[in-house]
Amino acid sequence: MANRKINKRDIEKLLSQWGQEFTVLAPSKESGIATMSKWNGKHANFLDWYRNTVIPPKGNFFPSMEKMFNFQKDKEGYHLELPASNEQKQLIFGIRPCDARSLAILDMTFKDAYEDPYYLPKRKNALLVGLGCTNPYDSCFCTSLGINPAESSDVDLMLIDIGDEFLIEEVTDKGKKLIAAASGVEEASEADEAKAKEAKEASYNKVTRKIDTEDIKRKLSSSFDNQDFWEGIAAKCISCGICTFLCPTCYCFDINDELAKGLGARFRSWDSCAFPIYTKMPMENPREEKWRRVRQKVYHKYGFYPMNFGVIACTGCGRCIRQCPVNWDITQTLDRLPAEA
Amino acid sequence: MEQRLRQEAKTLLEQGKVDYIIGFEQGSLKFTTTPLITKDKGDADRLVINPFIVNNLSVYLTDIEGRVGVVAKGCDSRSIVSLIQDNKVNREEVVIIGIPCPGIIDLSKIEQLVGKDRDELDDITRDGDRVVVTVDSKKKDFPITEVLFDNCLGCEFPTPKEYDVLLGEPSTPVADKTVSRAKVETLEGMTQEQRWQFWEEEFSRCIRCYACRNICPACFCQRCFVEESEPQWILPIPQWQDNLIFQAIRNIHVAGRCTDCGECDRACPVNIPLRSLTKEMYDLVDELFHYKSGMDKDAPPLMTAYETEEAEDFIR
Repeated sequence: MANRKINKRDIEKLLSQWGQEFTVLAPSKESGIATMSKWNGKHANFLDWYRNTVIPPKGNFFPSMEKMFNFQKDKEGYHLELPASNEQKQLIFGIRPCDARSLAILDMTFKDAYEDPYYLPKRKNALLVGLGCTNPYDSCFCTSLGINPAESSDVDLMLIDIGDEFLIEEVTDKGKKLIAAASGVEEASEADEAKAKEAKEASYNKVTRKIDTEDIKRKLSSSFDNQDFWEGIAAKCISCGICTFLCPTCYCFDINDELAKGLGARFRSWDSCAFPIYTKMPMENPREEKWRRVRQKVYHKYGFYPMNFGVIACTGCGRCIRQCPVNWDITQTLDRLPAEA
Repeated sequence: MEQRLRQEAKTLLEQGKVDYIIGFEQGSLKFTTTPLITKDKGDADRLVINPFIVNNLSVYLTDIEGRVGVVAKGCDSRSIVSLIQDNKVNREEVVIIGIPCPGIIDLSKIEQLVGKDRDELDDITRDGDRVVVTVDSKKKDFPITEVLFDNCLGCEFPTPKEYDVLLGEPSTPVADKTVSRAKVETLEGMTQEQRWQFWEEEFSRCIRCYACRNICPACFCQRCFVEESEPQWILPIPQWQDNLIFQAIRNIHVAGRCTDCGECDRACPVNIPLRSLTKEMYDLVDELFHYKSGMDKDAPPLMTAYETEEAEDFIR
């Protein structure tokens, strides 16, 4: 069946319509930075400025802090009160192909050793409507990781900018159902399809930062013990959590209790392998030195994740490069990996 | 100036006067520089000086063992002096390569002014009191008071006072103190309730990445209070209340050490206006103790010194 299309000025109506069934999230700067936040129900002005969010959409499924349960302590012991199950249906409008892929990568971890009861229900209840990039950042390198910035198989519907309109690709059955009843949608012509194809090519070519994943794989296998190299690479890193917290595929968390006067709550919150305390144990810390932590980050993404799940845990979204306060650039590190001895 | 710097760095390494050079090199993004930390004199030719040398490189001094030659702007050199006062850096082991600083360009301000992101701009050039931004092949002209960092606009000492080598002639302060303090003034004009609400909103965004702390040369504690578990001063989870307390305590800890370099504010990935706190503290320290951080390496650190005739009217 032929694809469909929608005029850009009808996006507001479409979002309103979806808003009756779902909690619609869309790019927003209302909080002070670009995030995927509850759509204001008013306009789709984000189409004018949106390139990508600062906080990746992982934050909508695995927030920076999340209450796991409440507890009460009395003479008989502890009583737990689990949070009400989250049946809220989220529709994320405008997710970029890199970020949609990152969720597919996160899914692997959150249902691997055990089924994560916080992440997975939110994921299952969510619909993703992708929006192709027309203007990637100079820090983006998604094409080197097999992603076309205007194409995605990790969403339910994919929108591609073809001028005054978006071409709509139905990726999943859920997406098909979503668009079937949508107003303002019409059938796309062959000319529209051709425009979409051109748009994808154009977006692809705009991504100029490149890495060579095959070469990286080879070199990583012999670089682990090269302390000199890692010390040099790590020297300017300040060990903050920006690159890991804002990474759409980093999932480490810490667990802490808040307890006052017998009432308490357990929280989980983002944690980072960049912090020395992350691996601190009573007698020792295997990653006390900075170079070991920097090495860990690079290996986790490009070495260990592929070993465990068969995919690189990086989508080339470029957030770690854009946001780093010392311009530590992972593509440079990967590029400078020493050749095999 | 750049050529002299490269020569200086090469000589220092060659003559074995330093083990490392810390300076700036071209970054991997447009209009960006990145710290260059090297032992290799061959790297000296990569050193740059331009209006985008944002980092306060003194933050690395407590991290690196050995003798170090470090490139320092006015505020950075004061941070070094402050570290010397605190016995964190040995004056004999650091060669300060001073840069008279004409002020650093705040890319966020340019982005706001032209409505484009930094990577969409063709060129940014400083021309005396103006900055020319080229976008889509069109030139736009701004006075520096609109595009320099707020802290640069309030900077009284752009030329390092403590140095071993000074590259170039002393530069005069830009001094637009109104703009420099504007955000603080706005906050002071608010009612207590409004201020509380303001900070609640701002600190709700904090993700506790600790970039503000880690980029700060004055935050040199081996173990930060936020990581203490017995007693636990604050929760490590990013609740706004804990985030606010973290920042309030950090601010008190750096009082008398903060040189208003603005790095915490710049590093924050979620745009919390942290300098509104640090600048207020900086000015309070000046007002109450007549003290400016990092001006005299032989002076005791502010909070360790007490004089009986000291005014006590700050207890209020």
